[in-house]
Amino acid sequence: MHAFAERFSTNGAAAELRRAKEILGEDDDVSDVMWGSSGGFGSLVNGVPKFAVPSVPDPTSFLRMHTDDHADPSCRIKIKHGTTTLAFRFKGGVIVAVDSRATAGSYVASGTVKKVIEINPYLLGTMAGGAADCQYWETYLGIQCRLHELRNRERISVAAASKYLSNLVYSYKGMGLSMGTMICGWDKTGPAIFYVDSDGTRLKGDLFSVGSGSTFAYGVLDQGYRWDLTDEEAQELGRRSIYAAGHRDAFSGNTINLYHVKEDGWKFIGNYDISEMHYNGPGGADGYGYDVRVQGRTSANPPPEAAAAQA
Amino acid sequence: MAAASVYTPAGFDFSNEVRNSFLTERGIPLPKATSTGTTIVGCLFKDGIVLGADTRATEGPIVADKNCEKIHYISESIRCCGAGTAADTEFTTALISSNIELHALTTGRKPRVVTAMTMLKQMLFQYQGQIGAALVLGGVDATGPHLFTIHPHGSTDKLPYVTMGSGSLAAMAVFENGWRPNMERAEALELVTAAVSAGIFNDLGSGSNVDACVITATHTEMLRNFVKPNERVQKERSYTFRRGTTKFKKEDIRSLVVSEDVIHTGEAMDTS
Amino acid sequence: MPDGSFSHPQQRQFNPYSDNGGTILAIAGADFTVIAGDTRQSEGYSIQTRYAPKVFRLTDRAVLAVNGFAADGNMFVKKVKQRLEWYRHAHAKDMPLRAIARLIQTMLYAQRFFPYYVYNILGGIEEDGSGAVYSFDPVGSYEREACRAAGAAQSLVQPFLDNQIYFKNQAAAPNQSHPAHLPLPDVLSIVIDSFTSATERHIEVGDGLEIYVVLAKGRSAQGLEGARGIQELSTKSDGDRVFVIRRELKKD
Repeated sequence: MHAFAERFSTNGAAAELRRAKEILGEDDDVSDVMWGSSGGFGSLVNGVPKFAVPSVPDPTSFLRMHTDDHADPSCRIKIKHGTTTLAFRFKGGVIVAVDSRATAGSYVASGTVKKVIEINPYLLGTMAGGAADCQYWETYLGIQCRLHELRNRERISVAAASKYLSNLVYSYKGMGLSMGTMICGWDKTGPAIFYVDSDGTRLKGDLFSVGSGSTFAYGVLDQGYRWDLTDEEAQELGRRSIYAAGHRDAFSGNTINLYHVKEDGWKFIGNYDISEMHYNGPGGADGYGYDVRVQGRTSANPPPEAAAAQA
Repeated sequence: MAAASVYTPAGFDFSNEVRNSFLTERGIPLPKATSTGTTIVGCLFKDGIVLGADTRATEGPIVADKNCEKIHYISESIRCCGAGTAADTEFTTALISSNIELHALTTGRKPRVVTAMTMLKQMLFQYQGQIGAALVLGGVDATGPHLFTIHPHGSTDKLPYVTMGSGSLAAMAVFENGWRPNMERAEALELVTAAVSAGIFNDLGSGSNVDACVITATHTEMLRNFVKPNERVQKERSYTFRRGTTKFKKEDIRSLVVSEDVIHTGEAMDTS
Repeated sequence: MPDGSFSHPQQRQFNPYSDNGGTILAIAGADFTVIAGDTRQSEGYSIQTRYAPKVFRLTDRAVLAVNGFAADGNMFVKKVKQRLEWYRHAHAKDMPLRAIARLIQTMLYAQRFFPYYVYNILGGIEEDGSGAVYSFDPVGSYEREACRAAGAAQSLVQPFLDNQIYFKNQAAAPNQSHPAHLPLPDVLSIVIDSFTSATERHIEVGDGLEIYVVLAKGRSAQGLEGARGIQELSTKSDGDRVFVIRRELKKD
């Protein structure tokens, strides 16, 4: 039997053993690796951690019944969703830009989420979909990447790291994980981006945008993308694209986090308030919003001649 | 072919009923109506009836009105407490009040409580529970004091002490414990207050103040906010904002003063 | 069938969750943190108890507030406390706040496919002596913040905190800027006002209020000495200190 299926099955030898343990009162989530200095992560060294699953015929539909706020807005456990993230490769490395809004249903649960997960000094992961799924598994990926370094005396390639994650989420396929992530970094091959999602898709590419606001971001991104952008131009393109998504998508917004990956690792460029970008722009001189550029020419505020003609 | 509906029939418009139930089925619920989560009570005493109600109105878990009136006027010596959908109790009692007044003028007699009760139950039954009104009707007429409960589907009870609404169990516990036949006015008022208070403090749908109404053959006394056990507490800080707190994009000051130059032409009118 | 035999297989929905109302909130200052919760526990329109604590002291520098399904919450706090005790036995010191935050993430995520229906807010003092608030979703995503409200009246309280703590939608006076952290007496009165207001307008909030105050090591208890009904819970007086203030809220 497939090892994963066995772990969660409700019949068969593994399930019998599990039931016996339950009867004897052996607590599954407190194995001895949680003792002492291994603290909470001790169990991770031994492979994939264990997860409690309700004893019902179909655990996935149980989970969906209680957590899917899209199908049932009155469901109790609301998992945070909604996002715009993007990353692109260019001459000067990789630009990673994300928004910072988390929504639970129609409620803005947070406006200060860190959607770029710093896996290690050379690897970044982005967060779209379930916030906990991305945070947890990309932290876990960080541990595995460090172990790879210790075992092989060299850094893990972006391809290998992303494949590790993709294989991992694939083993949970159908269980209800929700992630859409870009693993970005610099390795022997140069700058690299891999798109990995919870369906098991893994794609190598130059330019990606993920999340509810991705269509808006792509609009700006596709229009301004070139391989030979300068560092400043590239950073501005990333910032402007997330601004566009934050402006038009209700589930994205608040602030922009901008990162730049170069040969010597990633660098945090800055945090930019989206409404500040709208009115004043990154330099404080002119905003991204078009109000400034149409002053005195809109239907609400027509030029003097038109106003006179109307009156 | 039937002509397009030029004529609008009286009463409720059900034309959106099919669409709305379809939407509800597809997981789009109807907007929440303000409901009076409510404790309403009534009890018989020596000289008449005492009615009581709390004053909280809710929209789901949110308090919509902290001091609403739930004891509605039917006639001078008949009053009706309403629980359920706020709009339904309000309009149903108002409609019956009008009809009772017309009935009184037609017959030339003081209206009876059973008349109001029958009108209410017939109306509620006609609408098959679609009108979400749960009522406590009480009053004194030529035949003596009467106390009824009327359920949304149109069934009625005639009892010496009654409670309705989400706080009805809490209030009924007090009545079952404390009610006796032929109580004095003060005793009855105290019992009603205790029953409504039980609802206010133990039922989340009820709250704020106690309204009471004492009806006797000669006199009706409406005791609005009879007890106020839940006064708003003083805030720790004051939250006033400095002038200029709100940012603005542009400032446009328009002069609303119309200046007019009056130029005299010709001669003044002959007013002699 | 009346004889008790079942000719058809019966399927029932497994619903182990319920919502017990209430609200929790935490605000971090420069060298202190305030964590508060009301004490009403309800189900539907009934009050189960007027005093069920939702805020718990974990160590001399960490306090955890739990809200949502009370049974899950109490079990979760029990398990966190157990893990912290084991840590104490293994290392002869209390677990640092940021480590507790990560521990809570892994414990919540272990239940990813059978979640605890609990919203957690962890407050306390970091190793550098700064006040900190960590907020969690039911499956363990977390973030350090300056303030956070959760629970039934979250949508009433959080906008108020955004305005009063983060100064959202408030322009600073000319040539001035908003303070990064508020002093303790201001934070305490904002917390009390949040709960009295939530009690006015939310039916599931009320009865009692428990405010935990964690002070960084070496910080004087200035701003607390005037508080009514205050009690110290710290195990030693020369480290970080924990206090609790108990207040009444309206009971209707």
